[in-house]
Amino acid sequence: MSTRREFLRLMGLSAAAAATLTLWPGITRAATGADTRFLVLMLRGGLDGIHALPPYGDPGYAQLRGPLALTPDGPTAEDPAALRLDGTFALHPALSFAQQLYQRGQLLPIVAAAPPYWGRSHFEAQDCVENGTATPDGAQTGWLNRAVATLPGVDGLAVSTVMPLMMRGGGRISTWSPPLPMRVNPILLQRLEPLYAEDSRLAAAFADALANQGEGSGAAMTSAMGADRAMAAGKAKAMGSGGRLPQLMQAAGTFMARADGPRIGFVEDYGWDTHANQAAILARKLKELDAACASFAQAAQPVWSRTVMVVVTEFGRTARINGTNGTDHGTGGVMFVAGGAVAGGRVGGQWPGMLPGQLYQDRDIHATTDFRAVFKGLLAGHLGIRERVLAARVFPGSAALAPQGGLLRAALAA
Amino acid sequence: MATADARRAASALNRLGLGARNGEIAALGDAESWALGQLRRRADDLGVFAGLPDSLDYLRKEAQLQQQRRALKREEAGQPAPTVPGKDGKDGKPVNPLARLYARMFGADLRREASARWRLAARSDTPLAERLVRFWSNHFAVSVDKGPARLYAAPMEREAIRPHLNGRFYDMLLAVEQHPAMLRYLDQAQSVGPDSPLAERVDRRLARRADGQPARKLGLNENLAREIMELHTLGVGAHYTQTDVTQFARALTGWSLPLPRELEQDDVRRAFKFRPFAHEPGSVTVLGRTYADDGENQAKAILADFAVHPATARHLATELATHCVSDTPPPELVSAMAQAYLASGGMLPALYAALLQHPVTWAPQARKIRTPQDLLVAGLRAGAIDPGDKPQPWEGFLMRLGQPTFMPRSPAGYTDVAADWVAPDALWKRVQVGEALAERVARVGLDPRALAAGVIGPVLRPDTLTALARAEAPEQAVALLFASPEFQWRV
Repeated sequence: MSTRREFLRLMGLSAAAAATLTLWPGITRAATGADTRFLVLMLRGGLDGIHALPPYGDPGYAQLRGPLALTPDGPTAEDPAALRLDGTFALHPALSFAQQLYQRGQLLPIVAAAPPYWGRSHFEAQDCVENGTATPDGAQTGWLNRAVATLPGVDGLAVSTVMPLMMRGGGRISTWSPPLPMRVNPILLQRLEPLYAEDSRLAAAFADALANQGEGSGAAMTSAMGADRAMAAGKAKAMGSGGRLPQLMQAAGTFMARADGPRIGFVEDYGWDTHANQAAILARKLKELDAACASFAQAAQPVWSRTVMVVVTEFGRTARINGTNGTDHGTGGVMFVAGGAVAGGRVGGQWPGMLPGQLYQDRDIHATTDFRAVFKGLLAGHLGIRERVLAARVFPGSAALAPQGGLLRAALAA
Repeated sequence: MATADARRAASALNRLGLGARNGEIAALGDAESWALGQLRRRADDLGVFAGLPDSLDYLRKEAQLQQQRRALKREEAGQPAPTVPGKDGKDGKPVNPLARLYARMFGADLRREASARWRLAARSDTPLAERLVRFWSNHFAVSVDKGPARLYAAPMEREAIRPHLNGRFYDMLLAVEQHPAMLRYLDQAQSVGPDSPLAERVDRRLARRADGQPARKLGLNENLAREIMELHTLGVGAHYTQTDVTQFARALTGWSLPLPRELEQDDVRRAFKFRPFAHEPGSVTVLGRTYADDGENQAKAILADFAVHPATARHLATELATHCVSDTPPPELVSAMAQAYLASGGMLPALYAALLQHPVTWAPQARKIRTPQDLLVAGLRAGAIDPGDKPQPWEGFLMRLGQPTFMPRSPAGYTDVAADWVAPDALWKRVQVGEALAERVARVGLDPRALAAGVIGPVLRPDTLTALARAEAPEQAVALLFASPEFQWRV
């Protein structure tokens, strides 16, 4: 009911003011390898996997979930029906695009997944999801950056004003977010350039900023403004379907669809920590997520058949609802793997069950899949990173954890 | 002034304060005495908050809003939703009369709250105290993204943080955790003891109902308990368990707000209410210590122990040292601060004094990135810019730079380390903000080189000074100053 946009409006700020787009810089480079695309969308706060992918066929589900339980058996007065996937699982009613992908064999939900860290702190769990280790201080860089760094000539894109941990490190990553609608005096930039070159901590970032934003040259500025308008037209539609995430995902898709665009992308979203009144909050958030995936798929259409996107969150939530019609921090959650290159149309992972005795600490879904196994399988099969490199550099300390197979369509996995 | 003294004065004003005003560095005198003297004064609010409603006023206004909403719903039942014409002349989006009512009732209040805070930041004569206010406000972060907490974020800073800035940490902690902003932001107001009289009464009523309606049982919500332990006191590295969190959540049940009908009674004086009926009966054991059931005081006793726990001392010292000295503060500084805090029995002035009296705090290596909020405030102060009574431009900049006021993405608040704020896109936007700020600096008598020397003098590099001299116009020179690498740091 209450959104950031609504607040901005009250403050007299238009959300659209924070929402115009510029273009990705034209860095010309020969496309490398199979020219595949890989995007990670991170949902911060802890998506309730049981709500997004209700295990309606589990004999323990209805009782533990009480008023939050969803079923595919015909709509009730209050709730539309969940979207049936198989005899056990359904999708939340708001995930209609996801259902289409599933029917096309392009969506693979993986149940009971978790990072190797099983504590219940948002911040520690997010750090582990991002640094790719089992401890919050296990690495100061992000695994997705380290993956980029192993691929010569490949760039990454973080749709974010500041660099998220998952994209920090030595690999070449640009950040992008909706810009201020003002032009910058090119003379000012010229004068600042040598000054920033002397500040060792800021020099590289400033040089990137100049390179990426066209140094104020007439041609680049004009085409940037053209792209702004094109994006703004698309944006109106995206905003209509609810919120900023579809807009950010559309931008990511547009950049990544270019022949010389970034092959690896990262987008993040907030607001998934549903301790109270979860049904209404997730109905809105999941609708936005679904629209965001549709925006990305549409914008990335030219490369969609060579694309894998993964939706990930730091932990699942308690199997039981709490006293305020919400759920508290848990362990096993859901990952969604989607894209034209994915061998989907089925539910992956091992479901541990929700009956007494099956729950982790009598509380959470017992995690049966380590995130890193899935990511290792995707990075190996989709980006061609060797298993030895994955275990040594991208996910250090994970040598004993085999990359998960069978995630990709055979034609591309070869 | 000797070079080293000028450098310390600049650190006092730019790193520990909110940013030097022109000429302040030269006039400061001994930096450490000035800094300690700042702490002996209260955080002077210059009267900017005069006439703003307090939390109880906001609760009462909210109760009125609810009444009007009910009336509106009755009135409009059965009528089609009115619409506003779109740009193309056709009917556009339906008007949401409830949202309009909220905007009419609270929009002006929210803007007044925000602009008062901007004015104070720009004009404060106790900038070190103001930095600490903002530090604690971020330590106890709440976000206006959560609708029910929205009206109370700014009042929480005034009512729970400012009065206790130079007092006992426990008093600030208690005032914050009992404030409507925190009780609502972290869902405490709805948490009910599963064996409390209230839960049992509701259970009995549900048992009598045979209409197949879904059961809306009342129960525990452990969100506030967990974040108090993880973020507000002990810190995430401390040794506590899930059981400790749940036990503490039980003790916190009953901590709530007055209901609308209770607000109509004259004897309601506080925006906090303990509800014995919702409190979980029985003793609880947290961190190995058992606390007898003493109603509201049970959780207070736990908070009091948390406040002086060694893990809390270390956590607070690490955060404050990180905020004021370095992204990786030297362990000896953190230890000195934590020890001083514990030895004083949890007094904040002891924590601050240990920071200010430590040589590391004044070492030339100490520096911090200016976060977007720091940058804006420093620009306002350096340029003697009156932020005016409209917060929109400033909040708009912060939104685009990724740090809107009272809108952190999580209860951990905003980070203040360089790794989180230095990125190409962010630097580009800082240049844009530098230009926008420069446009608002008064042109009369403007001498950009003197201004640069006056506000960042001791760290101003010769080539920046040369670039300032070559700028084609004074306002361009000021934009260059605000966008310069030196100005992005609190040195």
